[in-house]
Amino acid sequence: MPEPKDTGSGGIGVYVCHCGTNIAGTVDVNALTEYAATLPGVTVARNYKYACSTPGQELIKRDIHELNLTRVVVAACSPCLHEKTFRNVTSEGGLNPYYFHMVNLREHDSWVHTDKKAATEKGKDLIRAAVRRVRLHRPLERKRVSIDPNVLIVGGGIAGIHAALTLANAGKHVYLVERDATIGGHMAMFDKTFPTLDCAACILTPKMTAVKSHPNITLWTLSEVTQVDGYVGNYKITVKRKPRYVLEDACVGCMECIDACVYKQAKVPDEFNMYLGKRKPIYIPFPQAVPQVVVIDRESCIEFKSGKCKKTCVEVCADRKAIDFQQQEKTETIDVGTIILATGFFTFNATRIPYYGYGTYPNVYTGLEVERLVNAAGPTSGEIILRDNRKPKAVGIVHCVGSRDENTNRYCSRVCCMYSLKLAHLIKEKTDAEVFNFYIDMRTPGKGFEEFYNRVAEEGTHFIRGRVADIYPDPAGDGHLLMCAEDTLMGTVRKIPVDMVVLSTGLEPQPDAQEVRRRFHLSCSGEGFFLERHPKLAPVSTFTDGIFLAGCCQGPKDIPDTVAQAGAAAAEALALIDIGYIEQEPYTAQVLEEVCSGCKTCIPLCPYQAISFVEEKKKAEINEVLCKGCGTCVASCPSGSIQQNLFEDEEIFEEVEGLLAYA
Amino acid sequence: MGTANHGVFSLPPPIDISLENLAEFPEGRRVLTCIQCGTCAGTCPYGELMQYPPRRIIGMLRAGELEKVFTSDSLLNCVACYACTAKCPRGIDLTGVLLPLVKEQVLLRLPEMPAELQRALENKLRYGNPMGESPRKRAAWVKTAGVPVRILHEDPRPVDVLWFVECYSSYYPRGQQCARATAKVFHALGVDFAILGNEEKCAGECGRLSWERGLYNTLMEYNMLVLGKYQFKLIVTSCPHAYDAFRYRYTALRFNYDLRHTIPFLTQYLDRLKPRLRRKVSYKVTYHDSCCLGRHSSVYEEPRMLLQAIPGGKLVEMTHNRVNTICCGGGGGGMWLDTYYKAKGYERLSERRVKEAVATGADVLAVACPYEISRFEDALKVLGYEKKMIVRDIVELLAEAMEV
Repeated sequence: MPEPKDTGSGGIGVYVCHCGTNIAGTVDVNALTEYAATLPGVTVARNYKYACSTPGQELIKRDIHELNLTRVVVAACSPCLHEKTFRNVTSEGGLNPYYFHMVNLREHDSWVHTDKKAATEKGKDLIRAAVRRVRLHRPLERKRVSIDPNVLIVGGGIAGIHAALTLANAGKHVYLVERDATIGGHMAMFDKTFPTLDCAACILTPKMTAVKSHPNITLWTLSEVTQVDGYVGNYKITVKRKPRYVLEDACVGCMECIDACVYKQAKVPDEFNMYLGKRKPIYIPFPQAVPQVVVIDRESCIEFKSGKCKKTCVEVCADRKAIDFQQQEKTETIDVGTIILATGFFTFNATRIPYYGYGTYPNVYTGLEVERLVNAAGPTSGEIILRDNRKPKAVGIVHCVGSRDENTNRYCSRVCCMYSLKLAHLIKEKTDAEVFNFYIDMRTPGKGFEEFYNRVAEEGTHFIRGRVADIYPDPAGDGHLLMCAEDTLMGTVRKIPVDMVVLSTGLEPQPDAQEVRRRFHLSCSGEGFFLERHPKLAPVSTFTDGIFLAGCCQGPKDIPDTVAQAGAAAAEALALIDIGYIEQEPYTAQVLEEVCSGCKTCIPLCPYQAISFVEEKKKAEINEVLCKGCGTCVASCPSGSIQQNLFEDEEIFEEVEGLLAYA
Repeated sequence: MGTANHGVFSLPPPIDISLENLAEFPEGRRVLTCIQCGTCAGTCPYGELMQYPPRRIIGMLRAGELEKVFTSDSLLNCVACYACTAKCPRGIDLTGVLLPLVKEQVLLRLPEMPAELQRALENKLRYGNPMGESPRKRAAWVKTAGVPVRILHEDPRPVDVLWFVECYSSYYPRGQQCARATAKVFHALGVDFAILGNEEKCAGECGRLSWERGLYNTLMEYNMLVLGKYQFKLIVTSCPHAYDAFRYRYTALRFNYDLRHTIPFLTQYLDRLKPRLRRKVSYKVTYHDSCCLGRHSSVYEEPRMLLQAIPGGKLVEMTHNRVNTICCGGGGGGMWLDTYYKAKGYERLSERRVKEAVATGADVLAVACPYEISRFEDALKVLGYEKKMIVRDIVELLAEAMEV
């Protein structure tokens, strides 16, 4: 039974905060205080320079004790900032923390108005409304939800790998789910990393191996999360595991099957090498792939296509019996308490800018393709040989392809300037070609980045400040491509003949980011990357409790930032796991059974699947733990049988009447 | 159609924008977002020759030194081809908004207007066409059309399609051939159509882009009055410049008629057309994307669909196509500045374009703009390619294949 309500015989304390001049500069705080003191039920009204400061908090606590206050109203900033602070103050003063109400005098009044008189009047209205509603507040309790210590990490790039190892090293069990046949992500495709030119594989592969051998990590490759149920601390995850047609436990990674394949020559364009090389239908993506297990591509395997292959792979595998053409897709269900999304990025499709000739002129490459070309394990064993088998003598690198462009993506992709410099260095080192970097603004904000720019300039790379406007074959017909741009520092239009063009393509959200967003109940920012809870103060949290972000799925970033963010996401997950529970706000909704007609209107509307229908009673029932207090069901209920804590009809009507009652 | 949305500005620029009140309009504030990347100068067909390409103009505007730009004649090289606008990474409507405003000031300060341009603009005002032909002869070609062509002031009954013929197709001999072909194709397809005849005057687009504001407004008001007299469902025009004016400028005078260019209009009839394209041809054809129709309104695929429907014809592409097309040099008043450019020793853009066309090995250069026929035929002659390649409007090729 709800407790009897205080009908307001007194005992309300009202505190008006100056917030320095943020409020006091626009609103007459003295007039507000005097006005508040006259309102029915108000025992004391004061104003203070910074209510959130320790003396400000002490003042409220002292009043609660000395004046026997029963309710507290603070008129200050947004509840987003200090509602928690003042609830704690109310609680420390000896009252239920929900005997408190906050008036947003700053964001809703002083910051948005310039007329001091009118702003003061509005402040009065807001305070009057709060005083009338707070009398009706009921005591509420926060609930504790326990946290399952297991963690799900989605995506096995450097972000997922680093987060997984951090958590596993702290003794937590991690499920690392990766869509591809190997972990490593984009970083595994890079040759060197800027600005130190560390070999990407040399620094990444030890961490990949550590993932595989770590007792606390369950690694599932060729797998995707298909369903997310539950709530913070208690998520139930469904994972679809696609067949590899090779038994992971039985395969020893000897790769004899690849040699034995009836395809004597590799014929299938190789995804890992950006289709610049070929692989066989049975293959391993790259030599250091983790797991070190081959995979069969059923699109090109003769056994799958015709059922009539000699199966030389099976023959050579012999007793190990690792190849299983009958393997089926499996579905697994796991329980985890927290989730880290590290689903990475997609590279811009350069054919979207037709005047750069990608896909039309063979010697136009993307940055990622060149990473594979210069890599010793790549399709040309690290030699830069063009699609027409020439070695380039002049190379042009175009920055900002698919970045900073209203026609494609408006944002800066953050890494392209630096990787363009790196590629300029690597190309020059390998070919001694003349290298021209066409840039709009050179963005090198990072430790050692500007020094690297300097180094590349000293090596003799040409820098042309101008965005390339057109790339086309030299009509003179000597196989050159002409790169046309205004050299804006010289004020002349230049047409530079080159043998090879490198398009420094930007970073985009994964094509299925929207689906993933819906599956995990996240938001996306305008450009489609997952949205963090706060750009500065909660950069790895999301609006869904217990789900964290790491790496480029949140926005373009380089490897150092990605690793830092992955560590932060792991720490956030650890913080929840180690305390073992989470307190939930009590703003949940309840069904008043005697009024509920069982019409089920509310059930499909609940975004959190918190409402179920109890057949025996023919009534709706709300799971308190799942309810997030959004109020959708309350508003939709045709019989008015759903009430929400702290937003009860009476409380809202009282607040509205208070707001509209002319003083 | 399924083409990239490069540089398409679906909203007409505000009619009362000026260099003084730029910041009051979103299009004007956008100018201030310029990052000085030089894409405009790099893509401009005359970028190498311009003392003040759009990038520098914006720089001077910000520095408060536009006066220097006004006294240079470099903006006379702007052929209003929308290349800078289509590629601008900040989405600045250079061709639609900024450049005409600056060009107006340049023209005002020119010690002497180039005579050819002066004459064309005067003719438009006096006769409603740039050639200075008699307005009473505008519909003279109808007599030799070979099919009935209804003229609305003679027979003002409601009609499905009002065909806005425009000047070059009305007067210029090669243009008239296109007009006749269009009439025949419409007739064969059973289109209920009529023309304004001698009541029609130039839509005035080239007047606007060479910034003769008064002339342009006079023509716009006149044509709106005439259009208002008749009942029709749709306006079809064969001139991409008129199409551009109607779509992006006349809207300011509440032009809200359904509008098509002939090419997309005929593409709607593709199913009816195909069985009638009986004559098998054996030529190789390349298509020149007109700036107004292509780059400004994203009509890229329809002309190609029509060309590919002609049995036997083989379509090849030039190096610069679709959004990357090279202007024929006729826009923005360039049609009447050939003598001026020649005196300065500039390469004619039509010659640059036909060199690319010839390099494809095609026999036919297909176009969809009446300006281009004369420009390209002339350029082919000057370069000695007249035996290698002929210029045809797409509608002419259709009429030929339909044997009408």
